[in-house]
Parts: sequence; C-alpha cells; structure tokens
Amino acid sequence: MSELLLLAPELLVLTGALVALFADRVTTHPRAAAHIGAPLALVAAVVAAVIGTRGGIFAGMLSLDGMAVFARIGIAALLAVWLRWVSGRGTGSERSAEAVALAMLSAVGGMLMVSARDLIVLFISLELSTMPAYVLMGYRRDDARGLEGALKYFLLSMLTSLIMLYGLSFAYGISGSTAFGDLGVVDSGTLGQLAVAFVLVGLFAKLSAAPFHYWTPDAYAGAPASSVAYVSTVPKIAGVVALAQLVAAFTDNGGTVVPVLVAGSLLSMLVGNLAAYPQTDLRRLMAYSGVAHSGYILLAVASGRAGAVAAVFYVVAYAVPSMAIMLLGSEEGTALDDLSGLAARRPAVAWASVVWLLSLVGIPPMVGFFGKLTMFTAALDSGLLWLVIVAVSMSVISAGYYFRVLRAVFFGERADACCATRSPAAAVAYAALTLATLALGILASPVLELFGLRL
Amino acid sequence: MNLPLLTLIVFLPLFGAAAVALLGNARAGVGRITAVAVAVVDLALVAWVTVRFDVSTGMQFVEKAVWVPQAGITYHLALDGMSLAMVALSALLTVLAIVASWKTEKNPALWFSMLLLLEVGMNGVFLAMDFVLFYVFWELVLVPMYFLIATWGGPRRQYAAVKFFLYTLFGSVFMLVGIIALYLQTGTFDILEMVGAGLDPKFQWWVFAAFFLGFAVKVPVFPLHTWLPDAHVEAPTAASVLLAGILLKMGSYGFLRISLPILPDAAHQWSTFIAALAAISIVYGAAVAFAQTDMKKLVAYSSVSHMGFVMLGIASMTPEGLNGAVAVMFSHGVVTGMLFFLVGMVYERTHTRMIAEVSGLSSKVPVAGGLLAFASFASLGLPGLSGFVGEFLSLLGAWASDIPVGWVVVSAIGVLLAAAYMLWLVQRVVLGSPSPAVDHITDLSRREVLVLVPLVVLTFVVGIYWDSLLRFTDPAVQSILVMMGGA
Repeated sequence: MSELLLLAPELLVLTGALVALFADRVTTHPRAAAHIGAPLALVAAVVAAVIGTRGGIFAGMLSLDGMAVFARIGIAALLAVWLRWVSGRGTGSERSAEAVALAMLSAVGGMLMVSARDLIVLFISLELSTMPAYVLMGYRRDDARGLEGALKYFLLSMLTSLIMLYGLSFAYGISGSTAFGDLGVVDSGTLGQLAVAFVLVGLFAKLSAAPFHYWTPDAYAGAPASSVAYVSTVPKIAGVVALAQLVAAFTDNGGTVVPVLVAGSLLSMLVGNLAAYPQTDLRRLMAYSGVAHSGYILLAVASGRAGAVAAVFYVVAYAVPSMAIMLLGSEEGTALDDLSGLAARRPAVAWASVVWLLSLVGIPPMVGFFGKLTMFTAALDSGLLWLVIVAVSMSVISAGYYFRVLRAVFFGERADACCATRSPAAAVAYAALTLATLALGILASPVLELFGLRL
Repeated sequence: MNLPLLTLIVFLPLFGAAAVALLGNARAGVGRITAVAVAVVDLALVAWVTVRFDVSTGMQFVEKAVWVPQAGITYHLALDGMSLAMVALSALLTVLAIVASWKTEKNPALWFSMLLLLEVGMNGVFLAMDFVLFYVFWELVLVPMYFLIATWGGPRRQYAAVKFFLYTLFGSVFMLVGIIALYLQTGTFDILEMVGAGLDPKFQWWVFAAFFLGFAVKVPVFPLHTWLPDAHVEAPTAASVLLAGILLKMGSYGFLRISLPILPDAAHQWSTFIAALAAISIVYGAAVAFAQTDMKKLVAYSSVSHMGFVMLGIASMTPEGLNGAVAVMFSHGVVTGMLFFLVGMVYERTHTRMIAEVSGLSSKVPVAGGLLAFASFASLGLPGLSGFVGEFLSLLGAWASDIPVGWVVVSAIGVLLAAAYMLWLVQRVVLGSPSPAVDHITDLSRREVLVLVPLVVLTFVVGIYWDSLLRFTDPAVQSILVMMGGA
C-alpha cells in the first residue's frame, strides 16, 4: 500500500480524468471537467514535490530519481495550467470534457513514463501518453484537414512505436531482461546496434526530431490550437526523460548511441530552423520550432550525464513558453496576421509574448537562456564544439522567425479588431507561464537542487 | 550597513521602467516626470559613488552574493575607474535622452520605460564582474533598443531594428561559447578570478576569436559594421545617442575588461590584426563619412572612424594607448551624443537631414549653428576639447608599441580626414546663407539648450584638464597591464 501512495500524483490525475468523463452527468456547468481537473493537477504537482525522490519501487519497475521527480512536477504543473486555460476558454465549438479527460490520461502516461525503469512499463506508459494525443489532434470531427493531420500523426506514430517495440524485443533478446539496469550489454554487435537504432527511431518520432518530424507540421496545422498547445509540449517532457534514461542505460560501454544522437541533433536544428522561416501559420511555425528545439535537446542528451540533466531542464524551458504561444494562437487565430495589432488590443499579453518568444531564442534572463547555457556547457565539456557552434548559429537564425511573430504583434495593422473576451482563468494561465519563463531560469539552481540534480 | 549602491544604480531604472509602463499613456505626464526623476536619482547615485571613489585602489564597492553555487556563478558587481567613467556616461546620457525626447507623442509610456530599461542593461554591463551576469545585461540591452528603433524609427525601422538585433546576437552567441569554454577551463564564471589562470596560448587564441566576434560586432570594427549605419539612420534621436554613446562602448569595454586581462597571450598574437582593422576602420569610416549626403549618416560613419581609435589604443597595449582608448570612449560618447542631439533638433525643425537642403544655420539660428560647429570641432579632435585627448594618446601609444608603423601612419591620416569632413559639414550646413528649409525655423528652446550644456561643459573640462578623466582611468589601465604581464 505504501508504495501505491508514492503514485498519488498519478492517481489524482487519473481520478480527474475519470471524473471529467462523467462530469456532464452531474452538473450542467460548461467546462466543469476542466474546473475540476485544474486544481487536481495542481495538487498532483504539489504532492509529487512533497514525495520527492525515492529509489526503486515496485520491485525496481519504477524509480523516482531526481530527473523523474522534476519531470513529474513539470508535467502535472503544465497540465494544471492548460486545464486552467481550458476552464476559461473551452475547446472551440466542441465539448471540452473529453479533451480534458484525454489530456489528463496522457499526462498520467507521461508521469509514469518518466519514472519507468523497465522496458514494458516504459512502452505501456509511452502508448498511454500518446494514444489520447491522436484524438486530441483530430478533435474537430467536422474538419477534414484536422482529421487528415490526425490520421497522419496516428499512422506515423504507430509505425514508429512498433519499430521501437521491435527494437525493445531485440534488447530483451540480447540482455535477457527488461530492466534498464541490464541494458548496458545491448549496444554491441549488429543486432544490438539495430536494437538501439530502432528504439531511437521511436523516441525521435515522439520528440518530432528530424528525420521523423514530417508528420508534425501537417498534424499541428490541422488540429485545434488548444490541442496543439498540449500535445506539442507536455508529452515531449516525458519523451526527453525516457530518451535520457534509455541512452544512459545503453551507453554503459560507448557504442552507436552518440553518433545517432549527434546526427539527429544536427539534422533537426537545420531542418527545424530553416523550414520555420517561410511559415505563415503559427501552428506550422511552432511545429518547426519544436523540431529545432528537439535538435538542441538531442545535442545535450548526447553529452553524457550532465547533458541529460540539462536536456530535461531545457525541455521544460521549451514547453512553458511554447504552450503559452499556442494558447494565444488559439484565442487570436493561428495565422501570423491574426496576431496583428495585439499590442494595441491586449498590451499585457503582447508583452508577455515578448518574454515567451525571447526565451525561445535564448535571451537572458529568461529560462531558455539558462537552459541553453547548461546544455552547451555540457556539450562543450564532452567535446562537441562544432555542434555547439552550429547550435548557437541556429539560435540566431531562429530569432529571425520569432521576430516575425513579434513584428506582427507589435507593428502589424489589423482592420477587424476582433477581440477575445476577458477571461480571468486564461489570464491566470498566462501569468503562471510568464512567471515561470522569467523565474525558472534565475532560480534554476535551487529548483534543481531540490531534486538532487546538478547543473 | 552600507547601501548596496551599485545594485541600486543598476536596478533602480528597472523599477522606474515598470512604474512608467504601469502609469500608461493616459498619465504619460506623470510618467515622464517619474522617468526623469528616476534617471536623475540614478545619476546622483553615480555622482555619490564618484565622490567616494578612491582612485588609489582597484575594484571598489564590491557586492558579491552566491547565485548558482554549483557552477560558480555569483551576483558580483564592482567598479574601477574605467567602469566608473562608463557608468557615469551611461547615467548622464540617459537623463539627457529623456529630457531631449520630452515631447514624444507616440506611445510615451512605452518610450520612457524602454529608455529606463535600456539603462538597466547599460549600467549592468559596466558593473557586472561575473560572466553570466555580464551576458544577461549584454543581451538585455538589445530588447529595449529593438523596440526603440522599431517603434519610433524612420521608414525602414523594422528592417534596421531586426538587423541590429540579429547582428549583435550573432556576435554574442559566440561570446557565450567563449565564456563556456573559459568556465570549463577555470571552473568559475567570475571575471576577476579568471585573470592569471595560466591558460594555454593556443586555447587562448580560440577563445579570443570567439570574444572578438562578440565585441567587434558591437564596437563595430570594419568589416562587421554594416548594421550601424542602418540602425543609426532609422533610430530616433535619443536612441541614436545611446546607441553611439554607450552601446558601442560595451564592445570596447569588453576587450579591455575581458579579452586583455584574461587572454593576454592571445591579445599579443592578435594585436597586429586588430591594429590593422582599427586603421582600416578609421580611414574607411572617414572616407565614407565624406561621401554622405545625410547628416545623420555622416555622424554614424564618423563613429566607425572614432571607434577605430579606441581599437588602435587597445591594440597598442601600452599605458598611453589604453588610457587613450578609454578617453576616446568617453569623449566620443559626449561629443557624438551632442552631434546626434543637434542633428535631431535640426531635423525636427527642417524635416530634412540632407546636407544639401540645410545651410546657413548660424545666421538664422545662431545657438543651434554655433553648438553644431562646436560639436564638430570637438569631434575632429581640436586640441583643448575632449576629442583630442584620446586620439592623441591612442596614436602615441600605437607609436610606442610594436604595431607596424604603417598602420599607425594610416590611422594618423584618419585624423586629417576627420578634420576635412567635419569642416566641410560646418561649411555647408552652418555657414552660408539660409536655405529655404532653414528660413522659417526657430532657435533651440531652453530645454534643448539644457540638454546640451552638460555635454559642452564636459567637452571643455576633459579637453583642458585631462587629469579629470585620466585620474580615474589610469589606475584601471595600469592594473590591466599588470594583469597582462603577470600571466
């Protein structure tokens, strides 16, 4: 029983998901599900922080190490923010209860995934975190484009998942165990290298890292922006932690992992940043920006233990402002032109968007800068100077397309001054995300210290 | 308990910026009074520090607190005479910029809060003694400057603002790589602790290259200067003043504070190259200034030329040269500030900056014309005015150093060119009979004269009584040279 209590955060979110499904039967309040879910998710984050780190539980199937705890809190907290926003804005014309339930189920999967220390637990929680995302992406049933994007996402994601599962079966065949601790022997010989490559294919696709990113722009562009705000951020946190844990497990004796990660990093940074330029839809732009950020993250993951910590920190640093931007897109419209004149209509949100976008560029004192500082430090320390130079050059290039967003917000003219109605709940969500973007970086050291992680 | 004076100097404008922004455009009148009050208090604090400053010791007013202990990152502020000169200039020019743009009508709340936010970054860069903190302020400067140019600039403001941002960002990310490399070698982010770490010369060479990119874009050194004319021409007057007066100095300050003391071996290897680029900047800037038909562009290119003297002094690595470099930095801030203010004031009246369309200022508006002539004389380096001090010392230092004589001679030619294009400007714009654009304009208002008087006074004081500036900079310069020799 006591071990089950350690999973209280997951159970809280799961409860929230189940309640959300039936909330409509009990109350007529629209968006009741989100109203219930948001505080539950927040409590889950607090409980996860209180529980803190624990060694192997459930016979070593799960382990709440510092990275897992940090990610668990991050996932629950971002879920809470997203639900808070949904409780104010809803999910467009569709009912929001199911979206709330799906997002919460996906979060449960993510929270389990970060503490998984067993291949089977990992795969099941990975699927649990991804399956609801398919539905979220095609949430608008009458939108043919959305369905096409969602189907594309579903097919590619399933395919890569299965390839990963195939790789996991190789790994099991070689090591004779599904525990992470025994995977050190896998990465040798042709079969072992195939196993590692297959597993990485699956995780690359979850992070939408090149060359497995093709589904992202289409899927995002067809989906409601509110769904993109969730799917493009929270599941990635879990994906990065799983990647970091698996890479650590595989690289006991060097091997093929690092070159693959380096190649993926280089490709993602180039493709993501360059392809983001011509985009005129915020969702597509952020999709490619996500590819680029996955590139930076892969660079860090390739740089050993310190890099892994930095990568986990950075994925949260990426998720916070990205979610904020997509939520804004959901309110204002997703064409870049829709944001025109935002500074005049909603100055506070416009200035918050400066903070978000500059954080994604990596300008201090925002969290993105501190994330990049730690990642690049780890990468330089492990001798990846050339790739760091590519990465910093690419961040300069990325400033170009983020500035196109800023330019629309501050200097664009828009004739039909439509305006989202005021929503205190959405304001709370924006405030929380902006504060996190500003403060997480400055307080990076005490935050990570809490979980025994060192930069 | 001593007041944390430097923290106040850096962060007071931040609160001012927030207050002005929150007051909003509806109460912009109160906002601008708040803005000028905050800036004046900040200047007073700097003055107070100057009074209590002890020229016989090095780093003073040290404030140090743990920030990220695991990585050796500290909140470390301190100043020596060189920092003090720059902070004083930054605080002064901010006040003047606010007063000069008193009548801003387009979104005044944003305007004044951006000026104050800019001051946070400018003051912070000159006081930060920790690399992470330094980088934070270094980048912080870009954001308000982007908005100042992009919101209130000329017709091509968007292009110029983004170009400015991307160019500087490009330089500074390489600086970041250099910072990380230094950290990995020394285990600290503290700028002062890194001195004398005995780094391998080859490693130093590469780190110097990374810092060079960061600093040289900012200075700017030929051929990395192309963002500057665009930014200056499009920027509103007050932003131009701060851009030329302070932001450019951040680059040369970086060379003096970081590259030379921490990477002395590399500095010696690079000195000839830097001297060559400096000489080219001097002559190229001057030659291009000659060809300009737009007064503001002329002043912008003259900045490239003057900053070349700073780099020449730095490359000499002699006491005279380094003192000269700091003196040019200070004097250029004062004099070019004055020039940009005056060009802006003339433009407000005549609605043109074309040299061909403006003439006879002295007969129609004697105060404006006279001051423009005065500023031009100061800029061309007339002895007795501040411009002369630094350029003379820089050249002197360059002669005394191992810089190939050819480059020094080329640089000296730049002085002649400066005299030529400045005097030609005076002849065309100030003298002669009034052109139609000048015919119906009024002379400077009392507020405008008030903005210029402190700069005129400083130009005289520094130009006649050199020691007023050098007594602060010389100890700092000597200690840089000791650090370089000691490594």
